[in-house]
Amino acid sequence: MPREEPTGLERFINGVLPENPVYRQLLGMCPTLAVTNAMKPALTMAAATAFVLICANVLVSLIRGSLRPHLRILVFTLTIATFVTVADRFLAAYVYEMSKELGPYVPLIIVNCLIISRCEICASKQKVGVAAADAVGMSLGFAVALASIATVREILGSGTWLGLRALPASWPGWGIMVLPPGAFLTLGLLLGAAEWATRARASTGLWKTVRMLWSWRH
Amino acid sequence: MAQEEAKQGEGSAKGAGPEIEVAPSPHVSETAVTTQRMMVDVAIALAPAMAMAVAIFRWYAVVQVGLCVLSCLASEAVFTRMRGKPVALWDFSAVVTGVILGLSLPWSAPWYIAVIGSAAAIGLGKAAFGGLGYNIFNPAMVGRAFVMLSFAKALGASAYVFGESGMAVVTEATPLTVAKKVAADLAAGKVAGGDVQVQLAHARELWPLLVGNVNGSLGETSALALLVGGVYLCVRRTASWEIPAGTLLSAFAFSALANAANLTPFTAFHHLVGGALLFGAFFIATDPVTSPIAPKGKFAFGVGVGFLVIVLRVFSGYPEGVMFAVLLMNGAVPLMNRWTIPRPVGGPTPEKA
Amino acid sequence: MGEPGKRVGYIRDAWLVVLLALVFGGGLAGVQRGLSEKIAENKKQETYSVIPDLVEGADPGKTVELVVEGRDGKEARVYKVFDGEGGHGGWVVAADGQGFADRIEVLVGLDRELATITGLYVLEQKETPGLGDYITSESFRSRFRGTPADTALVVVKDDPKAGNEIRALTGATISSESVAEIVNAALANVRDAIGEREGSEAGADSTE
Repeated sequence: MPREEPTGLERFINGVLPENPVYRQLLGMCPTLAVTNAMKPALTMAAATAFVLICANVLVSLIRGSLRPHLRILVFTLTIATFVTVADRFLAAYVYEMSKELGPYVPLIIVNCLIISRCEICASKQKVGVAAADAVGMSLGFAVALASIATVREILGSGTWLGLRALPASWPGWGIMVLPPGAFLTLGLLLGAAEWATRARASTGLWKTVRMLWSWRH
Repeated sequence: MAQEEAKQGEGSAKGAGPEIEVAPSPHVSETAVTTQRMMVDVAIALAPAMAMAVAIFRWYAVVQVGLCVLSCLASEAVFTRMRGKPVALWDFSAVVTGVILGLSLPWSAPWYIAVIGSAAAIGLGKAAFGGLGYNIFNPAMVGRAFVMLSFAKALGASAYVFGESGMAVVTEATPLTVAKKVAADLAAGKVAGGDVQVQLAHARELWPLLVGNVNGSLGETSALALLVGGVYLCVRRTASWEIPAGTLLSAFAFSALANAANLTPFTAFHHLVGGALLFGAFFIATDPVTSPIAPKGKFAFGVGVGFLVIVLRVFSGYPEGVMFAVLLMNGAVPLMNRWTIPRPVGGPTPEKA
Repeated sequence: MGEPGKRVGYIRDAWLVVLLALVFGGGLAGVQRGLSEKIAENKKQETYSVIPDLVEGADPGKTVELVVEGRDGKEARVYKVFDGEGGHGGWVVAADGQGFADRIEVLVGLDRELATITGLYVLEQKETPGLGDYITSESFRSRFRGTPADTALVVVKDDPKAGNEIRALTGATISSESVAEIVNAALANVRDAIGEREGSEAGADSTE
């Protein structure tokens, strides 16, 4: 092997925060901006993406021995599109409300670069277990990111969280937070906050421990 | 420092050294022309409009503008500290932002609108872009757009209607709201009801529009007060005359067209003095940071603002369009600057022309 | 191109793609087969579940969907609503049109004689949050209840004086007017068609 690939556990941990798909890689911006005006659609989107990502990663990893380099993207797309269609139909059948609210954004998971990049970077090269751990980690990271943006937007915009009243009813909802500009503003501010927090913590406590464990493993 | 570099820039053909300082135009090598002096000028020029606002809306105007100024100063202090920069409240730029924001709000806006609007103006409109001189959009208008989109209900048409004025304000909808209503009825093939016709007749009287005893945002009602302040700004060269000239000319031309096409019940003259056009043309669009550098670009910028104001007034769901027009044109400024690079005296532009 | 050896190469390369396409295609066909009924049911349910809200005493299970040709020459969806005992309770007309921001889709409930509006429901809207989106609120929708269906509705700013007047939402006159206009247009559009279908029963008041 030319260089050592990360293990399953590393893949998993990386996906959640250190290589968070939204805050660190800026992947999947379309759903990040479009469906985070409230928690419910954001979590539904995160779940649908997780389903597609895990299935696609596992399947691609299983057939990685038979992949032809010049046909691999075709295979990835085919696989992802299939699972997206499955997810879309299941949402329409069992959570119709959400499926209607998410509208075109469920079919658009197909073009979410997060998934195809995981197929390319991890699943097409590593064992099924690693690919699955990677997919779960990335899905969790994506869910955390969507939920954090949706939390800010729903609480400020509607005074509720997951549909439950979070602020007194007299709260004047900040309409802009529910509208598209609110998505850009929240994403920008949270990105900045994430960057700031990473830098601030790079030299302290918990982070240091994690880093030490890290270097020790290698 | 800055002057030295500017001189170097003049000397060499390339000009742009890596450490050029960006400062609000005009770039005059005269120490008297400071940001502070310009901002004080703007404050002086706004005095007549402020006085009219107090005369009409009484304490509401004082409280609203005061609250905006204080919140803007506080936001400026907090955000510049967060960025680790020296806090420079004494350049008065935050004060001017606060005054303009306050004067562009209705008298009835609740306190939190002033505070949130100010924080958005300074934080999102200015600090996020790197502070004064680096902001793309007019901070006061960013703040106003933020609260306008957030609290649409509290800033809707009825928020501007004032009943306890000191100058016998016509206690009705703002002139432009009336115009919008009549135009909407016309488009729907209906004839406006009796009360609307009466309001339209009132709104068509020019004298109240000039003096200012009509309803509207705090600072926009009196055309005369705005003209006095605006002309002062232009004479002092704190504002470039090209911008208001372009804005007013194009707004006049396009509203005349719209009126001729029966799209608006107001004549071009009404469109000039009613609503926030004068306020916007003299005090908002002329912000040196967010308007083009070259005179030609400034005029084109003004023409764009005037055109968009009329388009928004006639076709959008809002009765007024100054805020969005200025913000939209702000976005086009870098492009206009590229198109209107002035020819240096004595030769064509070097390299790519 | 054209060499036999290369062609075999293509097929050898592509076997995985072909196989996957077949497997996936089959799988998707299975999913569609398994779920399509439920999805169609969901769509129907969405309309039917609000019908008791639109026509009093209606039994959603007994609703019959009719497709009639409207005055504009297009197909329009109309639901004939029955009460629990199977008696004809009224009508529900599906309508849509341009709102302030985007298309608004509504259902309008009517009594049996097509004379009075008995309810309004907003299926789909993207009006301004905090202003126009109040068209979905019960307080706004109830303003339509009991208004005449044979005269065009008019939106007013103050309290309604005539029966066909609807008070606008504060700050959202355009959204309010859009809804009223959608209702007006839809009723005018299908009135004759329903009348024809029902013959003498409801045709009497189809003149305008």
